[in-house]
Amino acid sequence: MQIRVKCKCGEGKCPEWAVVELQGVVEAQPSFQDRLQNLEIGVLCRPSSQPVYTFKVGYHELTGSKVALKKPMLVLQKTKRTGTGDTDVGTDTNSSNVELQVIGIIRHRILFKTRPKPLISKPQPAVKEKASAPGAVASNQTA
Amino acid sequence: MLLSLELRIYSVGFPTILILILRIIIVREMEQPQSGNGGAEAVLNLEPSSSISIAYHSLFGPHDDLILLELDEKLLPDILQQRITLRGQPDEDAVLCTGSKTYSIKFVGNSNSVFLIPSSDQTEFCENSLDCKRKDDDQQGVASVIKVAPGNMELVEVAPRLDKLKLLLSENPYTFQEDLEMEDLEVVEKGNTGLYKWDDLVEKVQASDEELRSELQALSAVEIGGYWRIVDVKYMDTILRMLLHNSVINDWSLDALNEDEVVSMLESDGYPHKLAHHCLHVYGNKVDENLGRQVWKLDERRVCVHFAREILKEGKRKMESFMKEWMQKIPEGMQASFDMLEGEVLTERLGVETWIHAFSVSSLPSSPAERFSILFRERPKWAWKDLQPYIRDLSVPGLSSEGLLLKYTRRTQPTQDAEPVFSAR
Repeated sequence: MQIRVKCKCGEGKCPEWAVVELQGVVEAQPSFQDRLQNLEIGVLCRPSSQPVYTFKVGYHELTGSKVALKKPMLVLQKTKRTGTGDTDVGTDTNSSNVELQVIGIIRHRILFKTRPKPLISKPQPAVKEKASAPGAVASNQTA
Repeated sequence: MLLSLELRIYSVGFPTILILILRIIIVREMEQPQSGNGGAEAVLNLEPSSSISIAYHSLFGPHDDLILLELDEKLLPDILQQRITLRGQPDEDAVLCTGSKTYSIKFVGNSNSVFLIPSSDQTEFCENSLDCKRKDDDQQGVASVIKVAPGNMELVEVAPRLDKLKLLLSENPYTFQEDLEMEDLEVVEKGNTGLYKWDDLVEKVQASDEELRSELQALSAVEIGGYWRIVDVKYMDTILRMLLHNSVINDWSLDALNEDEVVSMLESDGYPHKLAHHCLHVYGNKVDENLGRQVWKLDERRVCVHFAREILKEGKRKMESFMKEWMQKIPEGMQASFDMLEGEVLTERLGVETWIHAFSVSSLPSSPAERFSILFRERPKWAWKDLQPYIRDLSVPGLSSEGLLLKYTRRTQPTQDAEPVFSAR
């Protein structure tokens, strides 16, 4: 069986994806577990011209930096070709109906390795605002 | 590009000008850098003193069909030009092949949370056109996470898995019987158990094209009627003997055989053109063309080894008896020496006699673990000079021959002056 890895990007034009990586697990509040789509995880900030970043998730803040990956990572999509429905005798048992397509490349990641710093939130109004907007809560489970 | 469009405007009529102007406008819009709302660009190009919200994509999910593959920079051109394939049968571990190398694929888990954010050009993840073109009046853009990746695939260069090739081609060796059935080629094709074309081999053997071709050559395989075949040894022997016989009759020098003469003579003796050629390839070497005539020189070692194998086909022989017969069988003018049989035969002392039997490295498996296992079953202890011919063809990327010995053998040296001896671990 042979699966050719396809790439319609062409040389040097593969869409670049980003990775935000943190140690630990981000958990949504129980009521949101099944409806994560469109939920905000946190806010990524770049306070200065340094490649230093903060990531505020719930009431915690992580500090990290943008690192180049030692080796690039490709994003591949596996698709199953739907059967053509023909039943000719000479059906090629060799050609697989699985296809692999390169759809992106990752060269950098924003990596957070610090312990989350609990934020002492500003007095009431901000807290209330945040409370009213559904959000994710960070819970740090050490890996 | 813009300039050439403008020049064209001056030479065409009014309605066309309108269309061309529109085209220019569209091109300009596309050339503007993406404002990066919504995707990876916004994250990677985050300006100082700015921020962006990271949210789960509207299509966030497990997306098991998305796989991350870590790749060496030097393999990127191959992948982008679609020269990379995955090969293997459903019951095998898949390997990744470039044109010339084979890699095993393994999954490496990551306990970190790896949030994947697609590029905003990614049309696959747009639920509707609005998703793709983020609202421009958002103060803060939103970058969307499509998946949390559990890990990624890694590549490890491996030796190609070529033992299968010999197995496949040995299912149906080409014998002289087939020549007789040549007219019934259709019959042969229909009842084709164990007949493989190049494309079939590529599907079944886990090796790159280059490694596959190289092994076909090492196996002395020949393509007949589109199928790759190993020719039965008995048949090759018949053709070789006929060639040698003809050489004597016609007083041809074995160092300067004329390809056309040899092939046409063999053809008139009833052997197919293809096989006559193949015989020259297997037992000889091309010599520079002389006035447009291809010349071949028989390879002394290959011819002598062939006859040695013939003699030992039935089993072990006493050394003197073997040597006597061998000297008789080799062609006039050729010199046989015992070191030609390195990696082909083993000797042992039984009582006062020395016996010799066939043990060819070409019949042994190519994976180190299996190879050493068979070697130590044949003989529990090996001196280095005997062992070396049977392991020098082993290649494992990243492992030197010392490394191989360390990994698979136990080295003992009875005394300081004695030769080291290798045995199973």
